[in-house]
Amino acid sequence: MKAIIENLMNGIIKSNPVLVLLLGLCPTLAVSTSIDNAFGMTAAVLFVLISSNIIVSLIRKFTPERVRIPVFIVIIATLVTIVDLSMQAFLPALSKSLGIFIPLIVVNCIILGRAEAFASKNKLPNSIMDALGMGIGFGIAITIISFFRQVIGTGDLTIFDIKILQVPGLIDNPMSIFILPMGAFLVVSILIATLRYTGVINSG
Amino acid sequence: MIKNNIKQEIIPVAFLTIVVCASVILLSLTNDITSENIEKAKNEAVKSMLNEQFPSMDDYSYYEKSDTYTVFSNDKIVGYAFMANANGYGGSIEILVALENTLLTEDDIVIHGISVISHSETPGLGERIVETVFSSQFNGITTDEVALKDNGGKIDAISGATISSSAVVEAVYKNALEKAKEIRENKDLNFDEGS
Repeated sequence: MKAIIENLMNGIIKSNPVLVLLLGLCPTLAVSTSIDNAFGMTAAVLFVLISSNIIVSLIRKFTPERVRIPVFIVIIATLVTIVDLSMQAFLPALSKSLGIFIPLIVVNCIILGRAEAFASKNKLPNSIMDALGMGIGFGIAITIISFFRQVIGTGDLTIFDIKILQVPGLIDNPMSIFILPMGAFLVVSILIATLRYTGVINSG
Repeated sequence: MIKNNIKQEIIPVAFLTIVVCASVILLSLTNDITSENIEKAKNEAVKSMLNEQFPSMDDYSYYEKSDTYTVFSNDKIVGYAFMANANGYGGSIEILVALENTLLTEDDIVIHGISVISHSETPGLGERIVETVFSSQFNGITTDEVALKDNGGKIDAISGATISSSAVVEAVYKNALEKAKEIRENKDLNFDEGS
């Protein structure tokens, strides 16, 4: 039981995929322009990550060593395509704003990384917990990054059409650089530096 | 020994084949479930896009040959629309260009209006091509007048975003001429299929 909780917590702080392992940075940097996007991306990644860990863990004993990577890729690509098609069908607006980054989950290193490093060697419950932890870790990181980029870059915090906060001054003269790609690098690096300096995450 | 080798060769291949087969089955099932909705969502997107230009629209038809939309209101053609692509400062700009229905009866090609569907221009500068202050300048002018004011046209460029502005102007001008010609050439076809 203790091990299972450890598996869950591992991904959230100690080995946070974005902030500590620096995996899956491409979608993190690209879609973190608004909190809506962050939530959509997190949901997609969580679904693919959990499903792929479940399947990989279930077939780990029959998977021949030599073809394991192609097998993982086929499984992940199938799951991603399912997510992509369902989003286009039922959430067209979100699908449009996440654009190319949904199909690109296939090559998101977090997912293949967890399949290879964890699920292919561990039992089902542990693998599910690991996926859940990693997914939540990814979600927390991308949400924090999106929060800063959206608030500083547009001066307006609106989540799913609900107005939460409008920063006086920033709303008229937003620092647009934070919405641009370079803003993503700034926010990510400052965030990681701050978390390391304060000891929230361990650099060792 | 030989038998063992064959086993070693075949099992991985067979396993991968099974996985791929399972994936194919799953994907075709998903496609069956979602394809209808995807089609509907795309249709809906086109409709709301056209509606913005033609509030009175109640139906539209798409002609693959000229890649244009014909917009109907009470079974009468109220205008035509098509997508134009411009090369902006930050990447490609997609613009919906609407033409007046006087296209077939008069020599002049009159722009009904434009709307920017997608772009990746700089926020605060080139991004302002989406604002009506800029895009409404196209309303009701003929293609001859589609040019920046510096070049003798009627369009005021956005200050600080000359590249984005002229990209839109050029794309609208070039595509409007091209598509108007195609619509005129295929007018019988358009009318038959549409009515």
